[in-house]
Amino acid sequence: MEVLKEHIKLQVKDLYKDFDGKTVLNQLSFDVREGEFLSVLGPSGCGKTTLLRILIGLETQSGGSVLLDGEDISTRKPHERDMGIIFQNYALFPNMSVLENVEYALKLRADLKPNSRKIAEQTLDQIGMHDQLDKRPNQLSGGQQQRVAIARTLALNPKIILLDEPISALDVSMREVMKKELKEIQKKFNSTMIFITHEQEEAFYLSDRIMVMSEGNIEQLDTPKNIYDHPANQYIKDFVIAHLDQKLQSLLHCTGRSLYEK
Amino acid sequence: MKNRTYYSLKVLICVFLFVSVILPLIMLICNIHPQDIQKVFQAPQFFPMLVNSLVCTTSATIISISLALALAWCVNRSSMRYRSLFSMAFTLPMLIPSISHGMGLVFLFGDNGLITNFLGININLYGYTGIIMGSILYAFPMAFLMLNDVFRYEDYTTYEAASVLGLSKAQQFLTITLPNLKRPLLSAVFATFTMIFTDYGVPLMVGGKTMTLPVYMYREVIGLLDFSKGAIIGVILLIPALIAFWLDLKNENATGSSTIIRSYQIKPNKKRDRIAYIFCVTIVCLISLPILSFVALSFVEHYPIDLSFSFSNVQKAFALGIGSYFMNSLAIAFATALIGLCFTYMSAYITARGKRNLANISIHLISMISLAIPGIVLGLGYVLTFRGSAIYGTFALLIMVNITHFFASPYLLAYNSLSNFNEKMEDVSVTLGIGKWRMLMDVYLPSTKATIIEMFSYMFVNAMVTISAVSFLANFRNMPLALMIPQFDSQSLIEATAFISVLILFVNGMMKLVVYGMKRKLTNQ
Repeated sequence: MEVLKEHIKLQVKDLYKDFDGKTVLNQLSFDVREGEFLSVLGPSGCGKTTLLRILIGLETQSGGSVLLDGEDISTRKPHERDMGIIFQNYALFPNMSVLENVEYALKLRADLKPNSRKIAEQTLDQIGMHDQLDKRPNQLSGGQQQRVAIARTLALNPKIILLDEPISALDVSMREVMKKELKEIQKKFNSTMIFITHEQEEAFYLSDRIMVMSEGNIEQLDTPKNIYDHPANQYIKDFVIAHLDQKLQSLLHCTGRSLYEK
Repeated sequence: MKNRTYYSLKVLICVFLFVSVILPLIMLICNIHPQDIQKVFQAPQFFPMLVNSLVCTTSATIISISLALALAWCVNRSSMRYRSLFSMAFTLPMLIPSISHGMGLVFLFGDNGLITNFLGININLYGYTGIIMGSILYAFPMAFLMLNDVFRYEDYTTYEAASVLGLSKAQQFLTITLPNLKRPLLSAVFATFTMIFTDYGVPLMVGGKTMTLPVYMYREVIGLLDFSKGAIIGVILLIPALIAFWLDLKNENATGSSTIIRSYQIKPNKKRDRIAYIFCVTIVCLISLPILSFVALSFVEHYPIDLSFSFSNVQKAFALGIGSYFMNSLAIAFATALIGLCFTYMSAYITARGKRNLANISIHLISMISLAIPGIVLGLGYVLTFRGSAIYGTFALLIMVNITHFFASPYLLAYNSLSNFNEKMEDVSVTLGIGKWRMLMDVYLPSTKATIIEMFSYMFVNAMVTISAVSFLANFRNMPLALMIPQFDSQSLIEATAFISVLILFVNGMMKLVVYGMKRKLTNQ
């Protein structure tokens, strides 16, 4: 198969996490390929955010390991993992301009410091923020702030970018725009992304593959088409397929057509 | 990298808070001789003293709170002119020592006072009248500040909903305003009560034969060096503060996240505005009377014989050595504000932006406990803890006791403003490889300049006016200016005490002006 030849970027083996005896992640194992956009889809409390925080090292796993390019990074500190993370509420530095926000972390790295200004400007240029360099975060819209946050992460050239429901805080119309932009950014930078969401449509629109989770377990990990065509179990049918069908049907209903009418 | 600085500072703060807050309390309790407890309680003067304290404090608290409530209402619920100017004027009495309020009343209503002499009105100041009047002057500004915030941050949408439902103004007040006010009102009542209950400055000046508990404690310790009896009274003085502390702690979790959707809309009403305006002007006049009396007394040739303008009293005051005490005060206030700022800000940074672990929760809790300890009790605790050590009798100890005494408010200011930052800030900085120390220096400090200025000025002003915590610890080498008021008063150097009040008011007024200017510049940026 063609897929197997692709380089495996991230390997998660038997990842286990419990909080005070309560299992949050139950022996998860999966791979992420280079340049892939993988969504982790699940309702709140399914462990997806915990998974993300363990991958980047903000939380420590109770068992199992995480390998990046074949190297075990399970015990490394967050900033030594070569990963970036984007949160829902941007968390930009409020006292710094757009340019300073992106440049700040670069300046603290000896290897990047000499070119920090250039890298920051380039990244912001590629992300379409070149005309907003001197603005403060509070002068920007939510979508613009999220783009700065993405640029801040991209500028450090991480091997993997983790996104924790990055567009959920935006209003509906902006969310559509950001969805498209995320895809463009991913292509432009050829980055590997792991995207956390509880919204089925987002996952289906954006992903190369989707990992559906519930209560700390992986229910199914496959391409959107395969999940839709061959749901692995009743949970997938209820949580994913039924939801999508319902959305589709309610949309079609007002036009007077039915779902299976070609 | 620089994270080592962060963790060493954290250890330093833990040690500091233990030594400066917990240890003195322990020493206070340990120094009580059991046989003295009986002696104190059975002494014939004890019960009358307790009654005096309770009567004066209760009446002064009720009046202060009512006044503060009325003023806060005027400032926030009417559209009279000069509202912000009024709010500033109402807090003017906070810029002078409590003992000055007592002196001011003596200058106005005393046997030889301005009003007594020129208007022929004798109100029999000494006793309950004087203590209650002085205590109101001393305490109502703080109550005003506390209640002002409640009025200012009330959400109007509930009022709109109420009017749509057809509730009358009176019903709205009962069903919305009062429940909103209940908790802060309770806090304000207890804070005011504690403040008045533990103050010795006002009753020392105008109490006459009426002795209150703090005055008794002050005399026992200063005059008779009886630390054990002092400590027993100290523990009694601690009681209302501990109740207040317990109530606040209980309420803290109950305080819902009240978001203001719409700020209060004031409907036009000329009559209401006029009444509010007249009321506020009257109060401002009453507040400024004692202050004007200080100025008058400082700059006349010889009251009440020769009333011509002259600098002779000022010259005399400086000849008495006021200059060096003034320098003491400035040095102590600056050091308290500067070091205190570092400590309180750093503590708030640790607790507001760090994990919720045992060390951090302890720092938060001890900071709050420091709020509950009256200055005079803290001062005695320090005497008992540091007596005989190298630091005793030095400026350093005065600065340390002031920092402890004024720790909680600036700490809370910083805590609240640091809590407002994005909760994911630490996660982001950790993954970007930015250490805690760097975040503090490059992000948090530059973003909270207004809070920092506020914290600094709070500690500076309070260190300038305090007479409580420092009273047992100062000696003639390092005595701050405010403590010279009872000294000069006992030598009948009335004009000098008036001039001291003017001087302190002037310095604090300048500080407030500078702060006002700096904050305006910040908001304009």
